[in-house]
Amino acid sequence: MFTQAAKNTQKGLQIIIVGCGKVGATLIEQLSREGHDITIIDKNAEKVQTLSSLYDVMGVVGNGASYGVQMEADIENTDLIIAVTDSDELNLLCCTVAKRVGDCAAIARVRTPDYSKETGYLRDKLGLALIINPELEASNEMARILYMPTALEVNSFAHGQAELIKFRVPEGNKLAGTPISKLGTNVTNDILICAVERSGEVYIPSGDFQIEAGDIVSFAASRMVAKSFLENIGFKTNQVKNTMIIGGGNSSYYLANLLLSMGISVKIIESDRARCEQLSILLPKAIIINGDGTDEELLREEGIQYVESFVPLTGIDEENIMLTLHARQISNAKIITKINRMAFRNVINHLDLDSVIYPRYITSEAIIAYVRAKKNSMGSNIETLYHMFDHRVEAIEFRVYESSGVTGIPLKDLSLKKDLLIAFINRNGAIIIPSGHDSIQLGDTVMIVTTHTGFSDIQDILQ
Amino acid sequence: MNSSIIRYILGNVLRIEALLLLLPCLTAVLYREDTGIWYLAVAALCLLLGQLMVYKKPDDSVFYLKEGCVTTALSWIFLSFFGALPFCLSGEIPSFTDALFETVSGFTTTGASILDNVEALSHTALFWRSFTHWIGGMGVLVFLLAVIPLSGGSNINLMRAESPGPSVGKLVPKIRHTARILYLIYFAMTLLEICLLLAGKMPVFDALTTALGTAGTGGFGIKADSIAGYSAYLQWVITVFMILFGVNFNAYYFILFHNFQKAFSMEEVRYYLGIILAAVLFVFFQIISMYGSALEALRHAAFQVASIITTTGFSTVDFDLWPQAAKTVLVLLMFIGSCAGSTGGGIKVSRIVILVKTLGKELTSYIHPRSIKKIKFEGKAVEHETVRSINVYFITYMILFSASVLAVSMEEKDLTTNFTAVAATFNNIGPGLELVGPSRNFGLLTPFSKYVLMFDMLAGRLELFPLLILFHPSVWKDLYTQKKISRKFEKSKK
Repeated sequence: MFTQAAKNTQKGLQIIIVGCGKVGATLIEQLSREGHDITIIDKNAEKVQTLSSLYDVMGVVGNGASYGVQMEADIENTDLIIAVTDSDELNLLCCTVAKRVGDCAAIARVRTPDYSKETGYLRDKLGLALIINPELEASNEMARILYMPTALEVNSFAHGQAELIKFRVPEGNKLAGTPISKLGTNVTNDILICAVERSGEVYIPSGDFQIEAGDIVSFAASRMVAKSFLENIGFKTNQVKNTMIIGGGNSSYYLANLLLSMGISVKIIESDRARCEQLSILLPKAIIINGDGTDEELLREEGIQYVESFVPLTGIDEENIMLTLHARQISNAKIITKINRMAFRNVINHLDLDSVIYPRYITSEAIIAYVRAKKNSMGSNIETLYHMFDHRVEAIEFRVYESSGVTGIPLKDLSLKKDLLIAFINRNGAIIIPSGHDSIQLGDTVMIVTTHTGFSDIQDILQ
Repeated sequence: MNSSIIRYILGNVLRIEALLLLLPCLTAVLYREDTGIWYLAVAALCLLLGQLMVYKKPDDSVFYLKEGCVTTALSWIFLSFFGALPFCLSGEIPSFTDALFETVSGFTTTGASILDNVEALSHTALFWRSFTHWIGGMGVLVFLLAVIPLSGGSNINLMRAESPGPSVGKLVPKIRHTARILYLIYFAMTLLEICLLLAGKMPVFDALTTALGTAGTGGFGIKADSIAGYSAYLQWVITVFMILFGVNFNAYYFILFHNFQKAFSMEEVRYYLGIILAAVLFVFFQIISMYGSALEALRHAAFQVASIITTTGFSTVDFDLWPQAAKTVLVLLMFIGSCAGSTGGGIKVSRIVILVKTLGKELTSYIHPRSIKKIKFEGKAVEHETVRSINVYFITYMILFSASVLAVSMEEKDLTTNFTAVAATFNNIGPGLELVGPSRNFGLLTPFSKYVLMFDMLAGRLELFPLLILFHPSVWKDLYTQKKISRKFEKSKK
């Protein structure tokens, strides 16, 4: 017991998390599990109390931007400070102070649209490691899904050159009922099926795995191939032409902005008149409707039954879920549901909601990817990290900086761990879907899909 | 956009038109005219098309303001098209453009004619012409609401799109009953006028057509000299009834239920009567020297003023020969029009009153920049939204008006003709000045101008926006794509 703790301290980073809100709590949970030494700071004593008794972390009550409080949290020996309070300015101030006092890396969450265009500038000038905008990230993901409406989830890797796409296999589909190896090269040529979820269980499929109707399948492919693959197996993948968004918050603004630039027409229903007027100035091309988005009559009048996609983005999860269920009943629209809180996940999973987005996970994923990469600043590096199937599967993109036991050897000769797949290799921008004869080379980026957690180096794939 | 309900209502409109076309057939039987056969044929055609269109019940009977507007605009276009067919087929008005002009003019209660010699027409055609006024006056969709049970509470959107005035309300909780009460009042008043005209020894056919024309504030006469040939008594009766039909029908509803105080305290009606009185007096002093007796001058002044302000368009004299000031007053009256909720056209007295009050408010705000002042009308504060929509209405009206004058001016006629031709059609009056004056007609215009004026008549009758919405690209796009989407959805459900 004692030795294990000592080992963890040796291995983990010293991290301060300022703000114990939704994202803060997720980060604490994740990072403490990965064995880092965490100190949490929040003004609310009760929150600090609860979280520090729930996880093995130290708590400091006070204003995270204050020098005194930071000193109390031992800022001088800290490797990383993550500021995720409600206030953007406080987050930025926290990081700036921390950078001056203790020479640590800093991550700030900044989400007001006022700063969204200047994040790059702010990051460079303030010397921050990362500025995270959860709403913007979530909107990016939603826009990607609307670009390919058959998908439940679309994650982009390698700077958008490859995608990891998740979809549900409908009744009577080509894929159902045949082992993957028998599907024929014309179907699965340039794609790789990475993971399959069936009634709550996640499988990393081997060649004799048989896909059945109702399975949720994830596959990796380059963007162009992904579309033709989906068309091959009988899906329509035309991007949607119009979208109805309920709620006019920041995410709606970001999403609408992205969609309009993709040539998708946008209709936003928002109940606050002043906000509507603001939105109509910000988004001159969108149709802004002032009204209660949960009013069935209003939705009908605005033609909910005819929209091609529907995105409820109200602040209340229950409302979003109700709206999704309502829309599913009366239309064929592609629907994306945003869930802010995490309670009752099982219920949500059973509701068959189409695509679901959890903004707080998107934030914590980005931060955790950074933390892991930082922890392994030598050797291989994590470029991106995605959690799939409720954190049961991780898709990790490693950069190979130095030769090791995995480089230069054909994949079939590597003794890889079970439940692990090498989804693709990005060699100088070309996406290779690897077969047994390919090998990992120096300078490649490699994407690994696995049910193991906590990978931080490419060598971890070996048994 | 719910296209199935639009189709269903249009089908019903055609069925009603088939029914209405039977009345001229009856006339034809009475006067033993063989042109009646064409009316019967068109009635059969309308019935057939109508039945086909209502054959399939709409999947969804809910409709909103946009559907209401589109349905109304399309109904009126359909009505006019099929209403014009008998004129054309029977050869009485050989050119289709002319026949359409005459019918649009009839349904929109304009009364602008392209006919050189009205008296040459058969009784059947004359009756149909006047009858279109009567239908168009109260509105065919209001009639539809009164007779055909449409489920759903959204039918007010149909009435809102068709009835004149800035705000359309219900008299009683049920829209169907409201529509019935309106038609009942309308019918009773028409009947009363016919009786009074008959009492003045007017021939039955003349009394009928004149009453129909007055009730709808239309103005098609069956004589070349309009009303000039009738006795002074008859002219006074018509004058009074024209004014009565220009009053907001809500007033009659209040009178019907003995709520006299409410009826007589209606601000709009008082302004309306005030304007008439002032205009009559002004014109009377202008023209007193032109006629033998003061009484005769008063009669002509009152008749013409009433005819123009209610947008009827009958005439007892050629007012084109009157002094400039008197003519100008008449032209200005064209723009004011009658009360909201009446059968007349024009900008409407209530809009003018609110616009003038807005002007007063604006002036006050120059003197006391921080002053707060709510405009009141009919004893109630007017919502900012109403004021705004009236302002927009006025601007749209001006833009359309100017564009039409420009379009008509391509004909190389004089400005007065162009200006008053548009004013007389846009406001649903009928005769203008100069070449389109009361003793002349619109027949000399080119087909292009006629179509422009037809558009103006429809736009004026439907109060601009229901017709203009047809030109919004998303309406047609929605109609096309949404139908496809809902069909696909039905299929996927099965």
